[in-house]
Amino acid sequence: MSERCWLAIVDELPASADAAARLGDRGGNKHGWLAAWLRAAKPVRSARRADPRIVDADGDAALISLVMPAADAFTIFDDTAVQQARRRVLADPEPADAITTLLVDGSHFGGSLTARRGPDAAARLRDDPFRLVAPALIATIEAGLLGVVSPPCGPVIERHGSEVPWPGGQFPPRS
Amino acid sequence: MRLEPGDAFPDLVAVDHAGRSRSIGELAAGDPLVLQTYRGFWCPKEQAFFRSLLHLQEEAEVAYTSIVSLSVDPPEVAAAFRAGLGARWTFLSDPEREHIDALGLRETTDTVHNPYLPTLIVLTPGLEIHSAYNGYWYWGRPSMEELRCDLREVTRAIRSDWDISQ
Repeated sequence: MSERCWLAIVDELPASADAAARLGDRGGNKHGWLAAWLRAAKPVRSARRADPRIVDADGDAALISLVMPAADAFTIFDDTAVQQARRRVLADPEPADAITTLLVDGSHFGGSLTARRGPDAAARLRDDPFRLVAPALIATIEAGLLGVVSPPCGPVIERHGSEVPWPGGQFPPRS
Repeated sequence: MRLEPGDAFPDLVAVDHAGRSRSIGELAAGDPLVLQTYRGFWCPKEQAFFRSLLHLQEEAEVAYTSIVSLSVDPPEVAAAFRAGLGARWTFLSDPEREHIDALGLRETTDTVHNPYLPTLIVLTPGLEIHSAYNGYWYWGRPSMEELRCDLREVTRAIRSDWDISQ
């Protein structure tokens, strides 16, 4: 798998994406595509870095909470509000199917994506800890993009390097 | 088995507090890991020791150190205990006692609960035992200062940039 993963909302299905799925609302209306690229270079201007483990072209449909603060509203990743959101993610007794923070650079919080499935997904996503940092879009996502990732062990809230979206990544073993 | 420093700890698989199957190696994920076995939520000694671990949690969360607690409590009981404590690490459940004898950690003096012997093991990311503490008697358990010393040694050994001036 590529070292980097990029996510973006786009109007049309991008031919260059490694995986993509239609976004919609709970009324059945479609609102573009959420696309993922596994590559080093940024594929589109609006793309943000994500934990590559969440991408699974065979993944089932899900409900997501997508936090994507506007460029003029970025907080630093180490802001205490973002730290506390990460603590609340770890404390959750029912972990999400997939979760990643989003990065726009090495120092700012570029948002988060949380995916859940099952009858209580909507209720649980309303408690997305990251929506206290920036507004969250609750949306449906069709099959073909998001998988299931084992939740982090805890209690580490730090990134494994400023270029690595939490909770993914690890430091290289000592050679 | 005996839990001796330098020995390999088995990459056992158990169910976590949310009902997902997890392995110790996956949970370590490249970081040092503090593995605690405990009798059960009902034991006052465990409750006291967990209060110490909660203090360590505040440092482990920024020190790239994973914590795992393992007991015979079923997942739903472990989940409730975890939530009540305010723990943000993984609790594993072994209600069928699949691993307790292989690890040599059955507390044979308690024939009512048949729990895990209270033990604390510091593991490297490769699941080598760095240190192990028998907590049957409470003072056999490590102080948080002893754990800090252990974790310093493990981290120094595994992080190539420990001394950035070298």
